[in-house]
Amino acid sequence: MRSERRIRAVAVAAAAISVTLLASGCSASGGTASASGDDIELTVTTFGTFGYDDLYKEYEAANPGVTIKATNIDTGGNARTDAFTKIASGGLADVVAIEEGWLGSIMEVSDSFTDLKDYGIEDRKDDWVDWKYAQGTDADGRVIGYGTDIGPEGICYNGKLLEAAGMPSDREGVAELLGGEDATWQDYFKVGEQYKAATGKAWYDQSSFVWNAMVNQLDEGYYTADGALNVEGNAELQERWGWLADAAAAGLPAGSPRWDWNGGTDFVNGDFATFMCPGWMLGVMKGSIEQGGGDASTGWDFADVFPGGAANWGGAWLTVPTESEHPKEAAALADWLTQPEQQIKQFEAAGTFPSTVKAQDQLAADATPNELFNDAPVGAILASRAKGVVAQFKGPDDSVIQENVFQVAADQMDSGEANGDQAWSNAMDLLKELIKE
Amino acid sequence: MTATLPRPSAPKPSTTESSPRPRTVVPESLTRRQRLSRFDTKASPYAYVAPFFILFGLVGLFPLGYTLVVSLFDWDLLKGQGDFVGFDNFAAVLGDRFFWNSIFNTLSIFLLSAIPQVIGALVIAAVLDQNLRAKTFWRMSVLLPYVVTPVAVALIFSSMFNEDYGLFNNLLGSIGLDPVAWKHDVLASHIAVASMVNWRWTGYNALILLAAMQAIPRDLYESAALDGAGPVRRFLSITIPSIRPTVIFVVITATIGGLQIFSEPRLFDPVTAGGGERQFQTTVLYLWEMAFQRRDFGEASAIAWLLFLLIVGIGIVNFLVSRRIATGGAPRARRPRGAKAALAVATLPLSGATEPLAAPVAAQTPGSPSATSSTPAGSTPAASDPEEDVTA
Repeated sequence: MRSERRIRAVAVAAAAISVTLLASGCSASGGTASASGDDIELTVTTFGTFGYDDLYKEYEAANPGVTIKATNIDTGGNARTDAFTKIASGGLADVVAIEEGWLGSIMEVSDSFTDLKDYGIEDRKDDWVDWKYAQGTDADGRVIGYGTDIGPEGICYNGKLLEAAGMPSDREGVAELLGGEDATWQDYFKVGEQYKAATGKAWYDQSSFVWNAMVNQLDEGYYTADGALNVEGNAELQERWGWLADAAAAGLPAGSPRWDWNGGTDFVNGDFATFMCPGWMLGVMKGSIEQGGGDASTGWDFADVFPGGAANWGGAWLTVPTESEHPKEAAALADWLTQPEQQIKQFEAAGTFPSTVKAQDQLAADATPNELFNDAPVGAILASRAKGVVAQFKGPDDSVIQENVFQVAADQMDSGEANGDQAWSNAMDLLKELIKE
Repeated sequence: MTATLPRPSAPKPSTTESSPRPRTVVPESLTRRQRLSRFDTKASPYAYVAPFFILFGLVGLFPLGYTLVVSLFDWDLLKGQGDFVGFDNFAAVLGDRFFWNSIFNTLSIFLLSAIPQVIGALVIAAVLDQNLRAKTFWRMSVLLPYVVTPVAVALIFSSMFNEDYGLFNNLLGSIGLDPVAWKHDVLASHIAVASMVNWRWTGYNALILLAAMQAIPRDLYESAALDGAGPVRRFLSITIPSIRPTVIFVVITATIGGLQIFSEPRLFDPVTAGGGERQFQTTVLYLWEMAFQRRDFGEASAIAWLLFLLIVGIGIVNFLVSRRIATGGAPRARRPRGAKAALAVATLPLSGATEPLAAPVAAQTPGSPSATSSTPAGSTPAASDPEEDVTA
């Protein structure tokens, strides 16, 4: 932890350096302001449901003179556009959260971000699960991100709907129903067909999240580990697309608009019974269910099971762009925000599952019930779901392939516009047109 | 440039100096003043207009030129300038089906918005032109949608066009019709996006047309009424021919705005760049996707230039049409009545039908050729023709 005195010392040192080095007009005002040891404004950009608001206040209280100006962008996709635009044109915040899906693009310009080894991140290396730290390291060995959360996936399900369909609705029963430890996608879709037969309702919200989970749990996804595009002729992908197509043909996806779910009402009205849930999605769901007028009585619950084995979706890092005028202070803030203690608070606020081992162990031991999810000990469940997750290499166009290629094709299957083969060949056409190798 | 009035420059120094004597005694100082004065006369108009041109150069011409430079390179959003590729980016864009899809969408949404918009604005303006109580209230009311930010409009419309719970599908359902896939069907989505544009711009255009209508001499209407012309006939035969230049202005601005439409389709489905399958992806939206999702600044710049050329092309057509009207060229036979002419105006930039437009005005302005060119908002000679029609 950084003491107040040390922050001040750092600030004074930084001010002294900036005064001596930067004589240009635009930096003059900033230099004199920090020379008096106070009034440093740090800008932070996050996205989705990050759960940092209270932590900012806590940090400001502990560090007089530091004010935090935070911006939160609604979705990861929009945050990507924002970050890309500002990498090109300038104007990045002092601390920028980046997401796993577009980490590959960021790594191509990793020299736009401060090497955090200069600020002692190596001393904390053992704090994180090893793959999280490794993902934040670029090809030259520079470490550009403090890991915040990871996205181990479990299955969210609506207990009331399953009960109405004559199925088990308790967490252990559902985990068993879906195949327990060795759950497969076939199990998941088979139960879905039974549910559909019993109720006539859809089993999951829409296909693209399921597809995303299937791709993420492979050793190599859209790219091979050495960075080559790995989609066309990829038998593993094509086989899974076939499963997804069969499920879509059986009417298992509800075709609910993702990230909006019709203002959250689809969660509340029982349009679908299960949902792909990485840790951070619990926070998104909470917001969405509340927006749709639902609460704990809506019936959502969280089961310790995932088809096809452990899967990770997303997770973020806090980076310090090289253009930051206060890199030391920014790094100190990012460092503090990603300490195990703060990660636990972030989890409590937003459901984001910690990437530090200590915080994970703590959540597993606490097993605090989550009221909205039928008192499920979501922290402990996610800790269990995190076991066996391996990092997958993310290439420069990973998020474009997911969102602009396969998501489009998956939607075509959901709406019945295309069968599995047509949708796959549409996806291959799109891939060729959109992605330059 | 030539529009500045000649200033009484020479007499000025002499009158202020009161006598001609100093001119000969201290010629240098006076000459300097004179020179200064002359310089002032010649140069200051340029100084007065300079701020606009300097700003235009900075934020208009320079970006235009720089975009052209970028379009000639392999240029990644993040990594920056790459190799010089000549016109490869243009070739790639012209061979890209999504570019042509975006052009189709843009033109389709433009037609669906411009035509109802001009017709609606004409009707609203005609109604407001009547002797209404609380005139200002009604006029402000039609302008209200223009005051609302497009983002708010898009959010509200996007919710009303929601396929599952939206207002419109509920209404359709309540009269027993099938719900419409507003965000998936091509034509339906174009109608939805166009309705946002219409909502925002119809009232604004109506006020511009109203200003033109107010300039039409009222005695024309009176005499037409005396001759037995009903309100519809007066609108079609007097009002519309008289405000034709203003209609053209409205059409030109609607064209430029319509071809650059971005926020409405962007926010209609905020998760995608113009629909999952680009059903309502306009060209500017495609440019945005190319630049900020696919990170290809080179091709994005090429799209920007192609769009610029398209707008310039349509602008030139508009310009030629308006010039013909202003000078009043060919002595053609008298052509359609007001209604047809107005329709021709509304569809003008796309049909390129310059003849039917130019003809009626040409027939109307033999007496005073300057009338239509200097006063766009209707004038007496322009109305002489319909008056004849009415009496005939």
